Amino acid sequence: MSRLRDQLRLPGEGDLNLPPETDLQPFEVFIQLQRGKPHAHAGTVDAADAAMALQFAREHFGQDQACVHIWVVPREAMIGTEYDKDVISRLTDRSYKYARGYQVRKRWEQFRSKKDVDQYEKEDLKEFF
Amino acid sequence: MSVSASVDLKLDWEIQEDPARLADFEKRVQKGELVEPDDWMPHNYRIGMLRMAEHHANSEIVGALPEGEWITRAPSLKRKLALIAKVQDEVGHGQMLYRVSQDLGKARDQMLRDLITGKTKYHNVFNYPAPTWADVTMIQWLVDGAAIMNQATLADGSYGPYVRTMKRINMEEAFHFKSGEDMILTLMSGTPRQKQLAQEAFDRWWEPCLMFFGPPDKDSVKTTPFMRWRIKTATNDDLRQRFVNRFAPAALDLGLKIHITSKETTGLVKRKADGEFERRQDPEIRLDQKTGHWRFSQPDWNEFYRVVKGNGPLNKQRIALRRFSYEQGQWVRRAVMGSTDLPPGR
Amino acid sequence: MDRITDDLKRPLVDLLLSIADDKFILGHRNADWTGLAPMLEEDIAFSSLAQDEIAHATALYQMAAGILGTTADKLAFRRTPEEYRCATIVEMSDDFNWATAICRNFFCDHFDLLRLERLTNSAYTALAQLAGRLAAEEKIHVDHVDSWMIRLGRGWEPAPARVQAALNELAEIAPTLLEPPPGLEKLEKAGIYPQSRSGLFEPWRDVLHDVVQSAGLTLQLHPPSPSAIGGRQGKHGPGFVTMLDELTEVFRIEPEAAW
Repeated sequence: MSRLRDQLRLPGEGDLNLPPETDLQPFEVFIQLQRGKPHAHAGTVDAADAAMALQFAREHFGQDQACVHIWVVPREAMIGTEYDKDVISRLTDRSYKYARGYQVRKRWEQFRSKKDVDQYEKEDLKEFF
Repeated sequence: MSVSASVDLKLDWEIQEDPARLADFEKRVQKGELVEPDDWMPHNYRIGMLRMAEHHANSEIVGALPEGEWITRAPSLKRKLALIAKVQDEVGHGQMLYRVSQDLGKARDQMLRDLITGKTKYHNVFNYPAPTWADVTMIQWLVDGAAIMNQATLADGSYGPYVRTMKRINMEEAFHFKSGEDMILTLMSGTPRQKQLAQEAFDRWWEPCLMFFGPPDKDSVKTTPFMRWRIKTATNDDLRQRFVNRFAPAALDLGLKIHITSKETTGLVKRKADGEFERRQDPEIRLDQKTGHWRFSQPDWNEFYRVVKGNGPLNKQRIALRRFSYEQGQWVRRAVMGSTDLPPGR
Repeated sequence: MDRITDDLKRPLVDLLLSIADDKFILGHRNADWTGLAPMLEEDIAFSSLAQDEIAHATALYQMAAGILGTTADKLAFRRTPEEYRCATIVEMSDDFNWATAICRNFFCDHFDLLRLERLTNSAYTALAQLAGRLAAEEKIHVDHVDSWMIRLGRGWEPAPARVQAALNELAEIAPTLLEPPPGLEKLEKAGIYPQSRSGLFEPWRDVLHDVVQSAGLTLQLHPPSPSAIGGRQGKHGPGFVTMLDELTEVFRIEPEAAW
């Protein structure tokens, strides 16, 4: 044992004579690993207030990897959706707003294979499109 | 997150869940979907998960004690820093795991109190003593090695917050393990005294590590749905075999011998009159060419049950130290809760 | 300057050791709290700061070792008690009293920041650069300990009473931090440690007073007696020897071996 721990007068067993304590407030922690990157949720700390939460967040979640910025938010300030109740991504066909909703490659190939297209123009199309 | 203050925290195998919801839940879990805190879940899933995370958290913060004893005596600057960081990580893991249980319905203060009054338990392996520096090495190499294997299977589980925590924890355990390997390699390339320290520490920890994964599957008390619900994803025997396959050849490579030791009823290794350990080489240790697995002797499972019941070498002392910490810190926590009027910018 | 003349080597080593020993022993004491602090999140934070102190000490020992032709580990573990240059205040045990631990950091962290900031203007480039990095990290420590002084000082009883008691007790030996290491005048003259002897006590005392006042507490600090000889000259009590024995207990099993 460290000498100090060895010398401690340790308590006995049995019921605690101390009243139960309320947990501190949860704060969600978001860390940014590099300027330019998005913040990512790292976890939760219990703290008395935001200043304490930020200090705790720095030492608990900010040390594993290089970290340049931290946000803490009281959990009660976070408003969110519910898995079962809230539809987020739509269920009906929305392919119009995605790149994959458009098939253009075959049609470019048709153009390029036409014999009367100038060789020069063919190369040009290939390079830029 | 919905935390019910009056959640009854006992498993109840008589409970009647809505069969449609239960079937749907089980189908999703079988498919490999993750459960999040706001999802409907069977009562016993919630309680089973809460108690598992709580037990795991308890193990982390009690586990910080055997190695924490050696911080003041670490033999080099690098070892000192690495050990402080490692013990600090254990506390951090405890914090994250308590959070999983807090979000399932139990206050952290209640969990700390239940631990120090003996109402809840922690992993058996931390009831064994760490009487030399070489024990620190064995804990980081063998015990953390076992923990990483176990946690890797738990990271395959179904409960989102716990799975995310396992992944985070295993990232940190990787450094603990590497540090442990570094230390054992140094000791076994060192002086005769260092090698002797290492061998005796290995003798102390090999069998407790075999017991790390729990009793043989055939002795398991009851079949619960925990594997069907992917709260547990590998069997005890399976994990134990993986551990031996990894560490038996590694130990032999280093020049360590794998012994069966004679123990006192407390779980401490017996010493002969000349001071040597009462031990013999495990005759089973060898690679079985047919199965590809390493054979080994089972540890003394009676010892396991004795230690679990609270008669291990250090059950009382470890809990007393944690209780000391809780009681001595009470005035600090009280002050912190009461002082909210800080000047701006602080 | 990039090189140190021979006559400045020993004074510089003594300066480096005085800062490194303060940090090493303080970090050693504080690290023993890991796993036992009053709150889990604070346990983690406090341990981070203890690691900082030991990491800082390592960097300073490495610089001194370069001059002496030895290693940082040998400096940390192999000197006799008379060769350590730490101030009395870092040696004592806090007996696992959180108030003592916080108040001791309060005195030490603020003094450390002050001297490191002075050293960022050192004429010796390598030292100025190292001091810059250490000061940036030490700022975190000062913010941390100031927050705790205020929270506890303005918190529910018995916190203010306990912190006041610890402040009163430590105020006696805190000024031992200001004892100069041997040869300091030479370093000041050469610009290696600007303004080292004059003007350290007042700024230190003033910033401490500001925080203590915000915490609703009181503090009486007196400058050290100019004739008092203590830790910086290698004079340590029997408690120091006991602590050093513990610190080197495993190392001494095989002092020549790698661990």
